[in-house]
Amino acid sequence: MANRGKRRKEQSEYFFDYTLLFVVLFLLGFGLIMIYSVSSYEAYQDYKDASYYLKKQAVSAAIGLVAMIVVANIPYRFWARFSMLGYVVSLVLIAMVPFFGIESHGAKRWLPIPGIGLTLQPAEVAKLCMILFLANMVCHMGRSVRTLKGMAFLVGWALPPVIMVWQLTDNLSSAIIIMGIAVLMIFVASPDYKRFILAGAAVVAAASALVYYISTVGMQEGMNFRFKRILAWLNPEAYVEDTGYQTMQALYAIGSGGVWGKGLGESMQKLGFIPEAQNDMIFSIICEELGLFGGIAIILMFILLLWRMMVVANNAPDLFGAMLVVGVIGHIAIQVILNIAVVTNSMPNTGVSLPFISYGGSSVLFLLIEIGLVLNVAKRIQLKEV
Amino acid sequence: MPEENNKIFHRKKILVVFLLCTGALLALFGRLVYLMIWRSDYYSQRAVELHERERSIKAARGRIVDRTGKVLADNKTVCTVSVIHNQIEDPDEVVRVLSGELGLSREYVRKRVEKYSSMERIQSNVEKSIGDRIREYDLAGVKVDEDYKRFYPYGELGSKVLGFTGGDNQGIIGLEVVYEEYLQGKPGTILTVTDARGIEVEEAGERRVEPEAGADLHVSLDMNIQSYATQLARQAMETKSADSVSILVMNPQNGEIYCMVNYPEFDLNDPFALPEGTPGNLTGEEEQNLLNGIWRNGCINDTYEPGSTFKIITAAAGLEEGVVTPESSFSCPGYIMVEDRRIRCHKTTGHGAEDFIHATMNSCNPVFITVGMRLGVENYYKYFEQFGLLKKTGVDLPGEAGTIMHKPENMGLVELATVSFGQSFQITPLQLITTASSLINGGTRITPHLGVYVSDRQGETVQTLAYPVTEGILSQKTSETLRGILEKVVSEGGGKNGQVEGYRVGGKTATSQTLPRGSGRYIASFLGFAPADNPQVIALAIVNNPQGVYYGGQVAAPIVRQLFENILPYLEIEGWKNEQGL
Repeated sequence: MANRGKRRKEQSEYFFDYTLLFVVLFLLGFGLIMIYSVSSYEAYQDYKDASYYLKKQAVSAAIGLVAMIVVANIPYRFWARFSMLGYVVSLVLIAMVPFFGIESHGAKRWLPIPGIGLTLQPAEVAKLCMILFLANMVCHMGRSVRTLKGMAFLVGWALPPVIMVWQLTDNLSSAIIIMGIAVLMIFVASPDYKRFILAGAAVVAAASALVYYISTVGMQEGMNFRFKRILAWLNPEAYVEDTGYQTMQALYAIGSGGVWGKGLGESMQKLGFIPEAQNDMIFSIICEELGLFGGIAIILMFILLLWRMMVVANNAPDLFGAMLVVGVIGHIAIQVILNIAVVTNSMPNTGVSLPFISYGGSSVLFLLIEIGLVLNVAKRIQLKEV
Repeated sequence: MPEENNKIFHRKKILVVFLLCTGALLALFGRLVYLMIWRSDYYSQRAVELHERERSIKAARGRIVDRTGKVLADNKTVCTVSVIHNQIEDPDEVVRVLSGELGLSREYVRKRVEKYSSMERIQSNVEKSIGDRIREYDLAGVKVDEDYKRFYPYGELGSKVLGFTGGDNQGIIGLEVVYEEYLQGKPGTILTVTDARGIEVEEAGERRVEPEAGADLHVSLDMNIQSYATQLARQAMETKSADSVSILVMNPQNGEIYCMVNYPEFDLNDPFALPEGTPGNLTGEEEQNLLNGIWRNGCINDTYEPGSTFKIITAAAGLEEGVVTPESSFSCPGYIMVEDRRIRCHKTTGHGAEDFIHATMNSCNPVFITVGMRLGVENYYKYFEQFGLLKKTGVDLPGEAGTIMHKPENMGLVELATVSFGQSFQITPLQLITTASSLINGGTRITPHLGVYVSDRQGETVQTLAYPVTEGILSQKTSETLRGILEKVVSEGGGKNGQVEGYRVGGKTATSQTLPRGSGRYIASFLGFAPADNPQVIALAIVNNPQGVYYGGQVAAPIVRQLFENILPYLEIEGWKNEQGL
């Protein structure tokens, strides 16, 4: 891959990661095809326009690609000075949600952008800002990152947006993702293992205890819906009328796909059985239409994407660049894992979109900006020194 | 070189992150393999069940065919009109058209059109022509499905025997109920693929499981006999202003029922019609009770005191036990004392000296009481049971009534005396004719029945129906003696109105007063069979509450005579004239 370098006029050979760009464009294009396939029937029923969702997503993707090209051509160090500003802005945007937010699907998570009729999900802004902020912070802390105090300091900065996203926008999954990004970045920044293993073990133990407790208590009147989702995860068929409905429908879709799938466009489950399948449940329809083969191909594409980003991070010219890429790796990896885990009922149901593929304008825009950052970091790799 | 150290541990950590993520993704990869290969069949099956909607296709019900091949119950095509809420585009137009074409009130139709359900039936059993007209409006959301409706070409003939079917083509009374499993067939299904709203996905096509038509039931009824007997019953009812008239004709050798008339009958094509003059304010329950009364088959659902026709049974028991012979002589003073009770003969002046044959011809009560006394309670009861009177006949019709009889321990001499001439207990008309048949056919207890065999639509026999037979309930010799005595009853005795020119007919009359005694209500009946020496056909006519002359010999015997005059030649039963070559 490295020999695919690009010669520049004055500088010696610099690196441009075509593989990474290709994988991203492939996922984006594939996502648009699947959004059309999945949503056209419902879009026609609801809006008399089969390509309603496709058009909206294509516009977001186009804006995102422009943003990606712009960001890819701005030296990433330029952004360091905005890290604190971004952090504050994301907090302000989240805080605005309860007052100016738009409600959709029973949750208030979107802010209107005045004048152009589009909406923005502050949680997506917060993910990007968290990556930028922590990368900058780690660089400035130097060796003090290695101390327990230093780690606590970073966690302390990460927590406010996490808690605000969770509480103010009632969006636990985004909060988990932001927290996950922060934890992965701190993990990379610190040479320590023991504390992370201990913390990880503690989280797993606490989660197991909670699941065990809920499964023994069983379904209660007025129970928190997240607890109900845990019960539905353990036994989706028992709650198929209620919390387990979406999960069971996703399993029907995945299971009925078989090895080779029903063929593109042949999904039955998208005909209203999985409501708005183009959002978080799109992977189940991919499996139904393209089979195990298609599902595995998508997973492999994401592994390829992560691998390319790892190569970029490992060869980044400085710690700031490396940390930025690590944050993007964390963001994409966590979302892919959580999304596929949810649709295959490997964990309780929670709304996480599949990067580049699920329908959602804010998500694809900010992901492409992040890819722009990674591409710019890649560009700064001096091949001679490698 | 701290910077280099940094780089090394950062690289290692980034690799760890990558490997952790890849590991998680590979685990999910494994989960996908499990779901899509091992669990694929299970989830595919469940998904198909979720996507397919089932519409059932009614199976054509089997026909009922009489012994001459006439179709008694057939199907005709009718339509079921329903609406599909989700697909209706113009509810007002739908309400207007359907209420107009079907003659229903707008409110009734509107309620169904506006009801949120996947499919709502507006009306079934709509004439095909009306269904076709509604289909031509081509209204979105209105479905006209073709369907079968039971049709009875003979209207009221044999109504209480054949029975009819309900809205779902299931039998409600009569043969339609008993032979349901043969007649109903197997409904087919149309499986269509629908989206979550229930709208059919057209490209997906449909799977059809064709219905299997029900099998045809061939019965022993003969519509010619049934039709003529019904005429006779109507005449008798009108001329005698009777409450009802029942006529049963069967083959005493094998129990095949040729006709079963319970006049008044009802129209099988409109079984829920209430008689004229019914008050309009009946409750649902009252209406149902009224209909149940109209549908009641008196020959098997009701019991009565048989009266003198039952003397056949007493005679058979006495002759078989040897307590009496045809030549035994008796004297009738017009009454007989049983314990402290004086039981009168119908001829109060007495029949004087007579042998047993004449006593039977005269239907002399004291003689039969004497025979009963000679048998004793225990013996009488033994024969009562041996002749099959305690059990139901086992006829293939629903709701057969059982015999109402004294318990042996409660049966004193007075009870025995009254039973001997056919009073103080109750049996069904069918039980009487069946028992009489079994006594005169040489002693073989037969099971009366209508169903003979079941065939497919092409006439290929699917199953021959068999009925239990008990041989030797009476000796051949006694049976022959009994036939001789009963022939005398018709040729010279009280049953002479049952004589048919050219044929040897045996029989017995009865005139029984219904309970409570003294009400002036009588049941006149006559049981006759021919030819007397080798019975091929047996008939029982019962006239319930005739006005004016009420004697069985005058009211019921002529019915059987007229019936025999027609059906004996029709059944190609040879009379004595032919035997003698005249």
